Amino acid sequence: MQRDVGSLPLSPALRARLLAAGFQTAQELLETGPCGLSKEIGISREEALEALQVVRQECAGDAAKTAGGSGSTRKCTALELLEEEQTQGFIITFCSALDNILGGGVQLTKITEICGAPGVGKTQLCMQLAVDVQIPECFGGVAGEAVFIDTEGSFMVDRAADIATACVRHCQLIAEAHQEEDHLQALETFSLESILSHIYYFRCRDYIELLAQVYLLPDFLSEHSKVRLVVIDGIAFPFRHDFEDLSLRTRLLNGLAQQLIIIANDHKSAVVLTNQMTTRFGQNQSMLVPALGESWGHAATVRLIFHWDNTQRLATLYKSPSQKESTIPYNITLLEGSQEYQDVSRLTSKFTGNLCPFLLVPVLHSFCPSC
Amino acid sequence: MAAGVVWVALKGHPLGVTRHHCSVGGPMGMLRAVCPHGPPWYPRVRYGTPWVPIPSPHRSLRFHPRSAPSHSAGAMVVLRAGLCPGLTEEMIQLLRANNIRTVVDFVSSDLEDVAQSCSLSYKALVAVRRVLLAQFSAFPTNGADLYEELKSSTAILPTGNPSLDQLLDAGLYTGEVTELAGAPGSGKTQVCLSIAASVSLGLRQHVFFLDSTGGFTASRLYQMLQARVEDKEEQVESSAGPLKAVLIDSVSAVLSPLLGGRQSEGLAIMMQLARELKTLAKEFSVAVVVTNQVTRDSSTGALKSALGRSWSFVPSTRVLLQGRAVPWEDGAAPHTACLAKSPRQPTGMQVQLDIGSDAVQEQRPVTPTP
Repeated sequence: MQRDVGSLPLSPALRARLLAAGFQTAQELLETGPCGLSKEIGISREEALEALQVVRQECAGDAAKTAGGSGSTRKCTALELLEEEQTQGFIITFCSALDNILGGGVQLTKITEICGAPGVGKTQLCMQLAVDVQIPECFGGVAGEAVFIDTEGSFMVDRAADIATACVRHCQLIAEAHQEEDHLQALETFSLESILSHIYYFRCRDYIELLAQVYLLPDFLSEHSKVRLVVIDGIAFPFRHDFEDLSLRTRLLNGLAQQLIIIANDHKSAVVLTNQMTTRFGQNQSMLVPALGESWGHAATVRLIFHWDNTQRLATLYKSPSQKESTIPYNITLLEGSQEYQDVSRLTSKFTGNLCPFLLVPVLHSFCPSC
Repeated sequence: MAAGVVWVALKGHPLGVTRHHCSVGGPMGMLRAVCPHGPPWYPRVRYGTPWVPIPSPHRSLRFHPRSAPSHSAGAMVVLRAGLCPGLTEEMIQLLRANNIRTVVDFVSSDLEDVAQSCSLSYKALVAVRRVLLAQFSAFPTNGADLYEELKSSTAILPTGNPSLDQLLDAGLYTGEVTELAGAPGSGKTQVCLSIAASVSLGLRQHVFFLDSTGGFTASRLYQMLQARVEDKEEQVESSAGPLKAVLIDSVSAVLSPLLGGRQSEGLAIMMQLARELKTLAKEFSVAVVVTNQVTRDSSTGALKSALGRSWSFVPSTRVLLQGRAVPWEDGAAPHTACLAKSPRQPTGMQVQLDIGSDAVQEQRPVTPTP
């Protein structure tokens, strides 16, 4: 397919001259050559050379993309996709009700978005997922590594260590119950140190850093090919403050969404984003909706909305290509050996924004799938 | 065949018209090319000569193997050696010396004068002109022939959703571009999957699904297919039909990063894509379905399709899907589909869609236009 002259990134005056002279496709331009071009349009040789350089670059870029340079356009039948999906694992969240409404857990190669008011448990779920992605395959996990991109600074290492310890403890209990060879073998490499060393943490302070990080992520992922989860905690935060040009924001977000889809598909990893909530004014009432606007809603394939109902936390699956819309209640509990301690009332005072890691013990209550 | 002038212009996108059809009243019938949005074209009517078809932007595939099927300004094609046999480099140089640079200049000039001033043979010029006209111009046909052609080439594909079929006047028409727009979660991907399932299963024809959002879930498609098939033995027959449906799930996901701001090429790329889609639909007789996002109208607050006014001319049918605004509150409103633009039905028609029910749909008999 030929590129139209009108769609090439040349200066408008030059474009107008080319169109008036009758050139239509990029191929015709390249065939004419700089001398012919400068004669026909009446520009200098140097300008013609420059213009042809730009055209050549564009066409080379297009050719590389369409030839499947990075596998960005993949062609396959639905049957092949079905087989792939059935062999793919899920990243479990250790909350059985949540796993049920998601259809087994967080799906690989899809973008999942978690929206919620402050304090409802989004970052905690992200940390839980960063640990859960590393569960070995014999225990039902994906045995991958995680990339955690933090924009709000809410990642607490001691929190993650607690979660990791609880997860290891959990797997040890399963191994004791079943006593299989591969379980014990896997447990040797599954320890607190290995879990924490396989969470790659990036801190981005503004939207430019975030965009740069996401666009450079494919190179990072090709070096670390075991990464199966990319978490961006707080995608709304850098885009919501200090942004005057809203149309620029929409464009940047759309480009970011496409890049995340490429990452999810090429590297077979799940992408999890967290979003904030904002108020929208309807006719008579106002309601809480996810931030970043209507167009951002299309970026995620699966959307989970966490909200409160008095003192009960609820999770709603709002958008999913394969599961029905449903709402489930969940709690945030502490699992420490055999002690269970539910402190929901203290968590309701969290809207002050001060997270005390010792009171807040958010390991979502576990329900071991194989017990 | 019709006595008067029957004027049926198959509307393409704003930059071109795909074909002109008119019935000629007599040997001096005038062909008035009306292209309200396109490049500067002018009616060329010459009395005393048999009427001349006007160079059109659409070049039929069969005449020129090298050309792309769609062109924005075919009338402005520069004369080049090798454009047609008999057009040599010296001829071009001589013509250029006489200020004849493009095809339009050549075709609309008086060949006797040209032969004299350029000292070229009149016969050669006439031969070249004939070939150029065959390549570049549109041939008129009358309305009756057009109707016959459409009857045999157009098919109506059922979408698998009876209420949506009702909205679309029996289904998706091949040769046209249909657009489904909706907010996130309103069911666009589900409707596309349902169309894919119904066409590939019911009609046994290939479906081309282009996914740019990552929303294609093969297991959901499998679920839908299982719900539709009553007995499993029916599945043994392999599908042998040609490609009849092209589904593009989210054309706005790839186009919206290009539009706006200081990039003026984005609009050109979008219109080139629009041209390719429409030509694809027309030439190969497929039904093209695209999905689009919605934005809020700043003045009225109502939802409308994204990608702006230029894109709104591209699809011939537009359906707006709506789900629940705030799903976690009570009062579930079911998914609805509203017709925003249609060449056949009144706009504003609204039906309720049943997305997500796996109930067996009764097999609709395929109704191609007889």
